[in-house]
Amino acid sequence: MNTFVQILVSGLTLGAMYAISTIGLSLAWGAVGVLNMAQGAFLVVGGYAAYAGAVFLGMSAPLALALAALAGAAVGAGTYFFVVRFMLESATFETNVIIATVGLALIFENVVLQTFGAYPLRQPIRIEGGVNIAATYIPYESIGILVMSIVAMIAVGWVLERTRMGRAIRAVSQNRAAALLMGVPVKVVYLQVLTIAGVLAALSGVMLSTITTLAPTMGYDPMLKAFIVCVVAGLGNIYGALYAAFALGIFEAAVQFFLGVRFGFPAMLLLIILTLVWRPYGVFGRGSTQRF
Amino acid sequence: MTMDAPALLEIRGLVAGYRDHEVLRGVSLTLAKGKLATLIGPNGHGKTTLLRCVSGLLRLTAGDIRFGGTSIVGRRVNNIVAQGIVHVPQGDLLFSAMSVADNLMMGAYLPAANAVASRRLEEVYGLLPALWERRLQTANTLSGGERRMLAIGRGLMSGGELLMFDEPSLGLAPLAIDQVYSVIANLKARGRTILLVEENANRIVDIADLVYLLDDGRIVWEGAPHALFDHQDLLETYLGS
Amino acid sequence: MRRDATIGLLALIVAILVPFAWPTRYVIEEMTLFFVWATVVTQWNLVFGVAGVFSLAQMAIFAVGGYATGMLGLYLGWSLWLAMFAGGLAAAIFSALVGVACLRLRGAYVALLTLAITQTMYLLIITDTECFYMEGVTCRNFTGGTRGLTGYGDFGFHQLLPYKYTAFGDYFLALGVLCAATIFSVFIIRSPLGLAFQAMRDNAVYAISRGISRFKYQLLVFAASALFTGLAGAVYAGHFRVMGANTLYLSQTLFLLSMMIIGGVGQIWGPLLGATALMVVDEVLKEFVEWRLLGLGLMLVLFAVLWPNGLYGGLEALGRHLRPRGSRQLSAIQPKEMAPAQK
Repeated sequence: MNTFVQILVSGLTLGAMYAISTIGLSLAWGAVGVLNMAQGAFLVVGGYAAYAGAVFLGMSAPLALALAALAGAAVGAGTYFFVVRFMLESATFETNVIIATVGLALIFENVVLQTFGAYPLRQPIRIEGGVNIAATYIPYESIGILVMSIVAMIAVGWVLERTRMGRAIRAVSQNRAAALLMGVPVKVVYLQVLTIAGVLAALSGVMLSTITTLAPTMGYDPMLKAFIVCVVAGLGNIYGALYAAFALGIFEAAVQFFLGVRFGFPAMLLLIILTLVWRPYGVFGRGSTQRF
Repeated sequence: MTMDAPALLEIRGLVAGYRDHEVLRGVSLTLAKGKLATLIGPNGHGKTTLLRCVSGLLRLTAGDIRFGGTSIVGRRVNNIVAQGIVHVPQGDLLFSAMSVADNLMMGAYLPAANAVASRRLEEVYGLLPALWERRLQTANTLSGGERRMLAIGRGLMSGGELLMFDEPSLGLAPLAIDQVYSVIANLKARGRTILLVEENANRIVDIADLVYLLDDGRIVWEGAPHALFDHQDLLETYLGS
Repeated sequence: MRRDATIGLLALIVAILVPFAWPTRYVIEEMTLFFVWATVVTQWNLVFGVAGVFSLAQMAIFAVGGYATGMLGLYLGWSLWLAMFAGGLAAAIFSALVGVACLRLRGAYVALLTLAITQTMYLLIITDTECFYMEGVTCRNFTGGTRGLTGYGDFGFHQLLPYKYTAFGDYFLALGVLCAATIFSVFIIRSPLGLAFQAMRDNAVYAISRGISRFKYQLLVFAASALFTGLAGAVYAGHFRVMGANTLYLSQTLFLLSMMIIGGVGQIWGPLLGATALMVVDEVLKEFVEWRLLGLGLMLVLFAVLWPNGLYGGLEALGRHLRPRGSRQLSAIQPKEMAPAQK
């Protein structure tokens, strides 16, 4: 029972973080066709923005979190304005944009490295303490992450399902040509999606940095895991990605517990290879999106 | 040609194509308010391309398109939709993972239409009651005929003055085709202006006011639908019937 | 074909003359490393640019070659000359397996899967802390762990060559591998196989209707190009006498990716041009090493956005532009296979 609770809690915490950064990736892929390799850098920008807000500007935690979200929105929108916008007409958009976002990631990483140094920093925004449930110590931090993720997911779900903008985003990712015919300004939707993806990544970066430390390369590993979640779910499938994020979080926690931390990632890799052999477009996937 | 109503759509010397392949080589046509014109002609000779030019999806090489007296050449698609042009595309292009209701709401995406969306929704459900029954289902669960109705309904949601239908009978069973055409006749009776692409001349003979025969990027004949049947040679040459 | 031979021969002559013209240790070392990376990039180009498979597993393949060579030398006492070919073979087999896993996948999925494979390999090596054997009182891991795999020796040029020329051994070995790899890549790109790939990229439906099997060719290119990549890994391992997980750093993969993109993807001389350009830029900017990533990043973004055909594509376009009008029109109607740069 004890073990079970422990795995469940750490699995859900991991899953929650994966879910948040996965939604951003998934939206960007589904609606814009961008496999955003700069997602990890977005995480880093968010984490350091919150740090800078709290340490240099003396901001309270909610304010620093808002600053991180703002920074995420800025890098997301910047990605559209400075990179994606110019490549939309390209015949090899799908691969070219991967390369361009890789370049962006390097730029962000270098700037953060030169501004804050390579030395790992402690994220000042965090919730201390914990509680014992069923003889298992559960840090408040985990609960905080879980709650924040769920709030963010509900917010995104609400925007996508209930608002005019959300409907347009879904429309663009399902049928770009038809969305255009409905009068949807597709490029504005691209901008919106990348901005939302930036905000989500930045928030996920703050959460991540509270349970580990801040480092200029900290976004890479979670990004890869978010990719795995996306691949398992099928790129662009947001709801599938949510299920997959939590399932993989729990799976990883269980593997780490039973086989050791070392095999968490290899086991996940094995899982995606098997998944992709079984279903090349993911469990809930549906081929790639075509642009118009 | 009847000149009793002012021209809503006027196309002059339209030239357009894809990359180095010219599809339309100087097409001119006029559609008066409240009338129904049909474009007929063999496949791959520019009918769809013409509609794409009007709705702004394809840039023209030369020529002019006027809607309600002003030129719409070079405008963005969303602007053209806002002007009141509805393009119901070939193959429906539905948002397949969205519900029927959400698909319809997408038709009223632009601000002006969005403001009166709930009233329009009622009108569309009134005109196409099958959609009301299926409003919560996702579009990919619909039958072919229902999908076509949804595509039409979605187009109506924007409240445009000019409706363009690209082969609304394509791929449907005879019964569903009859339903689609009765909807179109109904719309015409309500005073909508309609540009219809069709391959089968027999289907439009009773509802069209005017027929344009498009072949190899040019209008080769225009006139009343009944007159077309007097030209057996045209029917044989272009439509194989 | 004739132009390729001319370019290749000229480059080869320059490469042979360099160590005699500048016989400093530094130049020879840097050039040796350049040959190693250039080999890796030309072979990556076959997979990425020619076969159109967006694989990011290139450095994993390289590492398999290097580690296999080192392990055979260390644990079985093989001569590195023998171990080198076994390393190449191991890399080819590994790559074929990766190829099988990627076969049914498309663009973005392949990139993700291969990236994950590289990362997994990296993690497995750096977290390897179990004692595999004892060296005196120190514990050594099977893979060498974070310290890297050492103790397998080198190619033994210091016994074969006079003292002054020991560095020449590795230099010409690396150059030899690069030559073989380049000839192989010219052969692939200009052969019917290369044209088959071109057909598949340009029009997949047509290619399938002509009975061109993606499965077979893709696997072939995956395996064959990995042979040379593995050999490059072996040369690297033998040259430095240590094989470490640093070869699997993402930054290394990205550095090589930049070479390919900046030089020109899918073209014979693009990767070599890109490798040269980046090695030179890297050398010139040594003083600003802390901004290296920024520079790389900016270049990647600029080239992806503005010049997706790379430097080589740019040069070709310039060449077409400078040619007199008549011949330019002629080149415009040449069949596709004569102008692989135009995509």
